[in-house]
Amino acid sequence: MFRKLLSLTIAAGFAAALAAAPAQADSINDIKARGTLIVGVKADYKPYGFRDPSGAIIGIEPELAQDVADKLGVKLELVPVVSSNRMQFLEQGKIDLMIATMTDRPDRRKEVLIVDPNYYSSGTNVMSLKSAGLKKWEDLKGKPVCGIQGAFYNKKTQEEFGAEVVAFKGTAEVYTALKQGLCVGFVYDDSALIAQLQDVAQWGDYEMSLPTIDDEPWGLAVQLGEDKFAALISDMIVGWHKSGRILELEKKHGVANTPFAIAMHEKYKNM
Amino acid sequence: MIGGTDLPVLLPAAQRLAERVRREREVGAPIPRLQARHGAWIAVILVFSAGAAGAQAGAGQESVLSIMLKWTPLLFQGFIFNLAISFLAMAGGTVVGALLGVWQISLLPPVRAGSWLVTQFFRNAPWLVLLFFCMFLLPFQVRIFGVVIPLPDWIKATFGLALPVMANVSEIVRGAIQSIPSGQWESAESLAFNRRQTLWQIILPQCVKRMLPPWMNLYAILTMATVLASVVGVSEVMTLTGQVLSAEGGRTDLLIPFYSYILLWFFIYCYPIARLTVRLERHFAVKT
Amino acid sequence: MQDFFAWFQWLYDETGINLTYFYDSFDRARMIDGFFTTIRLSLVCLFFSTIIGIVGAWLQGSRLVWARRIVQGYIQFFRNTPPLVQMYFFFFALGSLLPRVKNDFGYMEPMLSNFTWAAISLSFFAGAFNVEIFRSGIEAVPESTREAAEALGYNRLQSYMYVVLPLAFRVCLPALNNNLVNLVKTTTLAYAIAVPELLYVSNQIWSDSVNVPEMMVTLLILYVALVGLLVWGMHRWERAIRVPGYGA
Repeated sequence: MFRKLLSLTIAAGFAAALAAAPAQADSINDIKARGTLIVGVKADYKPYGFRDPSGAIIGIEPELAQDVADKLGVKLELVPVVSSNRMQFLEQGKIDLMIATMTDRPDRRKEVLIVDPNYYSSGTNVMSLKSAGLKKWEDLKGKPVCGIQGAFYNKKTQEEFGAEVVAFKGTAEVYTALKQGLCVGFVYDDSALIAQLQDVAQWGDYEMSLPTIDDEPWGLAVQLGEDKFAALISDMIVGWHKSGRILELEKKHGVANTPFAIAMHEKYKNM
Repeated sequence: MIGGTDLPVLLPAAQRLAERVRREREVGAPIPRLQARHGAWIAVILVFSAGAAGAQAGAGQESVLSIMLKWTPLLFQGFIFNLAISFLAMAGGTVVGALLGVWQISLLPPVRAGSWLVTQFFRNAPWLVLLFFCMFLLPFQVRIFGVVIPLPDWIKATFGLALPVMANVSEIVRGAIQSIPSGQWESAESLAFNRRQTLWQIILPQCVKRMLPPWMNLYAILTMATVLASVVGVSEVMTLTGQVLSAEGGRTDLLIPFYSYILLWFFIYCYPIARLTVRLERHFAVKT
Repeated sequence: MQDFFAWFQWLYDETGINLTYFYDSFDRARMIDGFFTTIRLSLVCLFFSTIIGIVGAWLQGSRLVWARRIVQGYIQFFRNTPPLVQMYFFFFALGSLLPRVKNDFGYMEPMLSNFTWAAISLSFFAGAFNVEIFRSGIEAVPESTREAAEALGYNRLQSYMYVVLPLAFRVCLPALNNNLVNLVKTTTLAYAIAVPELLYVSNQIWSDSVNVPEMMVTLLILYVALVGLLVWGMHRWERAIRVPGYGA
């Protein structure tokens, strides 16, 4: 009986010691001490972040992350994230920096520190069948529209415009569903849709006919309170706009130069 | 005369048939034959769909087969992850589950009630929800006595999957213990074994035989369930397949071939285990 | 009623515990729809998988070699492959092969909705396990009982329906209940093909409102309650139709 009690107490002691104490976030010094910058990027969103056959994550945003790592003089480690966990990883301290196609919105600024100026922008639009003849957002009322799970515009599309959003985990599922006629259109970032529509062989019957709404800039983010790190990144973003790095990367990955990137380059190139 | 024939040309077949009849007599029921062919059916679907997809592919596009070969190393790494998760979750879940199962027949009411509650709770919760729970609410690193131990995603997924395994193993163990005739307990008592000795030296060894088939069945279910980890973002084979499809520009004709491909891998892994389970079941069939 | 919901808004402002489906009517509607979709999906799958199990067990004992082989192949395929991938396969692969129908909006849509495909996929998945369970139940019926039925002039179908199946059902009910409970839990997989069941709706809500822990706890409680109810009902039923002298 006593032996049983003793083993129980030891087990309880272990459990208490294991009580999770999440480690504190790292600042610039800690990153340098660690020797690696951990950045969260998308791995399923071509051309912003996607895989190559060796398993590495490549794309516009991983290359921007590499720039930051080079500036700090450390190695780069990319962690794949999705919309539903990217802010959480940052809050938990699992990643130091997040460059994951995240739209800059006020409620998100309460959770993470979004760095100014914004590095990119895109709006929301719908890729739909030409034969469906959609002209305005209100035309979507009652119709099934495909989307990606976790995107913030799904709620607006459903609530304000009355569409029935059918959300899938990844873009491959959505494009297949779209082809099969499960939905009348796909609500997504317009820059990605433009890139997809260039593939006329596959998407010749589709168009992006609605006016782009919510042209909201994207933000890359660090943990709340990391002001020094944010200042460093902010300088880098200004540098990117000044040198036209964003435009260069867009061209490299086959995206038409977005108006925002062009405007920012004009604004900063003489500074 | 079974297996006997005086026609020389039939002799080999006759011997084969005699063997089969003898085995069936032992088991008492017709033995299902040759199911490796069913794996071949999936391979047929794969080849057929790949061919159909290849026929649809445009002139400038890569052939489906070459794309699949190109991505195989990466997908295989993901598959190894699935297997690793299944091993670890099974190991961890079995150890804790066995303890829980033994506690369920404890003489102390609080221990009995507590372990019953834990078992029922984790049995009734959907695996996916438990997985989500662990992924989101476990921290990404823990500090034990000042040492920081990182908990990568797949470890959290392993923990999340070990919970329902633990509950199911607990039920298996309890069921096995309760199926041992009470005469065993009584004779052990009359030979002056105390409860713990009875349990560990007499009852549990007999239970191992009975527990093996449902335990292996559970392992098969667990291996399938490791695919759920893709829903919470772990880079296992299903997630990687989705990312690969996206990297290939969301080509819809690749969907079926790729998913048939990983379906085939799972089948190749799980089918031998299923056959082994059937053999073990027959080998350990308790003679009542 | 409004005051009850409004209290949760106060709860959020004061403590940060954000249960949006209480105070936000849009989220509330979504949650309720999701809950009923889960129940509907579970009931449909329970019904059809049981039928598939009975038919499959019958075919397994058939004299036709090909009937037996097909059933065996079906069981091995559905038991040795992940249900998530099966669902993708059914929905995307088979869904694209079926003809399309013109809907009210003037474009072609698939014949079967994603709810239907989820129901089909899950029914076949659970049905494969049910076939084995029913088979073990049928084998537990003593040979003497079967011979007696044959001696009384029942043909195979009649003896199956009136003699063998009722006994087999009672013997295999615990295993069947286990499988049916697992089926209800497996309906969460329909989330991957955008069926608006409970997990899918919760995922949408926590993506919009960033209240993951609250939604997770809610989900856990709801599912444990739902499954607990089913388990309790099944136990009652088991006890009610027990055959004295069989089983524990």
